Amino acid sequence: MIHAGSDTDLVLKPDVCIVGSGPGGSMVASRLARAGAKVVVLEEGGHNTKEQFDMQEPRAFQRLYQDRGNRATADLSIAVLQGRSVGGGTVINWTTSYRTPDDVLAYWQKQQGSLLTPAILKPHFEEVEQRLGIQKVDYEDTNANNRAIYDGCKKLGWQVDTTRRNVRGCLRTGYCGMGCPVDAKQSAALTYLPDAVAAGAEVYANCRVEKIETSGKRAVAAVGLVLDAQTFQATGRTIRVEPRVLVVSGGALNSPALLLRSGLDRGPVGKKTWLHPTIAMGAFYKDPVEGFYGAPQSVASHHFAHRNENAGFFLEAAPVHPMLSAIAAPGFGAGLRGRMSRLPNLCATISLMIDGFDEAESGGTVTLRKDSGPKLDYPFTPRMHECFIAGMKAIAKLHLANGALEVQTFHNDPVHITTEADISKIDQPPMGPNLFAAFTAHQMGGCRMGADPAHSVVDPKLRHHDVENLFVVDGSVFPTGLGVNPMESIYGISSWAADNVKAALT
Amino acid sequence: MTSRRGFLKKTLGGALLLGAAAAVPVALRKTRLRAAPPGLKFFTTAEYSIWSAVAERVLAREPTPTTAAEAKLTGPVPRPAAPGLEQIDVAAKADAFLAPLPPGDAKDLKQLLALFDNALFSVATGGPAKPFTEMTPEQQDAHLRAWQTSRLAVRRTGFQAMKRLCAAIYFGDPSTFASVGYPGPPYDLVKSVRR
Repeated sequence: MIHAGSDTDLVLKPDVCIVGSGPGGSMVASRLARAGAKVVVLEEGGHNTKEQFDMQEPRAFQRLYQDRGNRATADLSIAVLQGRSVGGGTVINWTTSYRTPDDVLAYWQKQQGSLLTPAILKPHFEEVEQRLGIQKVDYEDTNANNRAIYDGCKKLGWQVDTTRRNVRGCLRTGYCGMGCPVDAKQSAALTYLPDAVAAGAEVYANCRVEKIETSGKRAVAAVGLVLDAQTFQATGRTIRVEPRVLVVSGGALNSPALLLRSGLDRGPVGKKTWLHPTIAMGAFYKDPVEGFYGAPQSVASHHFAHRNENAGFFLEAAPVHPMLSAIAAPGFGAGLRGRMSRLPNLCATISLMIDGFDEAESGGTVTLRKDSGPKLDYPFTPRMHECFIAGMKAIAKLHLANGALEVQTFHNDPVHITTEADISKIDQPPMGPNLFAAFTAHQMGGCRMGADPAHSVVDPKLRHHDVENLFVVDGSVFPTGLGVNPMESIYGISSWAADNVKAALT
Repeated sequence: MTSRRGFLKKTLGGALLLGAAAAVPVALRKTRLRAAPPGLKFFTTAEYSIWSAVAERVLAREPTPTTAAEAKLTGPVPRPAAPGLEQIDVAAKADAFLAPLPPGDAKDLKQLLALFDNALFSVATGGPAKPFTEMTPEQQDAHLRAWQTSRLAVRRTGFQAMKRLCAAIYFGDPSTFASVGYPGPPYDLVKSVRR
């Protein structure tokens, strides 16, 4: 059953307690419950269903995103789009589904002693793809916002392809990021969590875990607060779960923050957090694009994923609903209004930096704010600036090749590009925090897996190095970014990890 | 105040700046107050007034060469007029949004607003010796731009905090959709399936 919080103080003693109900937590809950374990899932977000998904950005961001849509690095230089709901980020992501690339798994194996190989993960990915209805998009089903990337890349001879999406009966309304209003998107809230509940799992929404209590090498309890479903404020009711095995699946940022709040700060907790730091560009076309409708992401180019010593990047589309567009659009006053008035003719293309593959890279760091929530810092570096600029130039080039009238950067003073010769102007504006728009929709790392406790938080089986009945199973265990959208990787690796959790019960 | 003095000393060479700021008459430090709606939960009247003044410039409607150039890109687009801020009280909506902020964030934002409207800080950073709320629209735009492009990272952060929330509140309001050519969500299509 999925409970909307609790009117009383709760004390529960299941076999397994899972903190978080996104792709990691829901998968472990499903696998363990179906194996006969008594499972309790605690989720800070609310239980949101299609009846509440009214396709209005302000309500969606406040209800379904971390910090009511306001999460960002401490200096606001990178906006953080991260889900907060029963089902986690799978409720609001844009459905793009990739397996973990083979070369990424090989790098993890070499650098961190990871046990994961393509062969080991293959059956897990196959099961996930079947359960979530993951299928490749036909070119004819892409919207103009995505098709521009496809056509532009093809004209330049660059690698490009349609993506795979986890949908069934998709109407291509374009509102994946606000919760699918027709339940076409196969989120965890519609798949693995109901599977877990059908097998007896109990899911408690609106319950925030504040701390893990430990005794010696054992986690003895997860303790937290019940939140009001509307205000997200504590109701005064408490929850205490004393499991045999505890699984932390709060996602990057929240999982390391929970460990830090609990005094489990040995090792690189919160360090090496990866974001696929992302810049956006706008391309204006003569004919309407209407990028607010249609599948938000259906095309991607990985042509620049491997660039020798420089960080790689990949290109995808972003939807152009008015609120998100206005937040990202450069300038203010009439300049901002001018850009917004061209919204129907705007293509929004993003370049995502593949971070984590340079050993000198520190990436992001999660520490605790005064209110004990996660504080994220991600300092900009020359390596990032080079990658951002290279991404901007690639986007400009592909849109010019595709016939855009003008391409604009999202610098504070946008660079206006109408010819190939203009592209070099992208080198001119100063680069630095809050001098151009940057965001992340892919949060990874912070509790990295590895064989060496000095350089990892959990071991290769995702068990905490110091606490024998504590596992971390979510994207926070990734040693690097992925170079692809992370949802399917989190599901697949969590499916594999569920066997490790199960073994700890015996 | 201690922390702000510490911040200024650390980032701007301190004594010189504070000495210059101290030369500005006290009378110039006052926020120009507006009539605030009853029941504010986060802002004081002064803070509401500052935010309203910021929103007016962030969402200003005067045409500029930039918009004229962009209009050439796709030709004239007949659209309903964008609603004014008398129809969407951006500051009041910001007040409601900000009310649940954690105390630490709330304190930071309130300090930011005080600094933004501080004539001493304005003059110390090359602006007019007036609070933002007393400046002309042209001066206000220059003040916002100075924060947007400042070498001081904290001013750029402050600009983004104000600009993003103003823009999100305004352009997230359905009454603005027609003015930007957004037809709104496809409710009929969704209803046809939900049945």
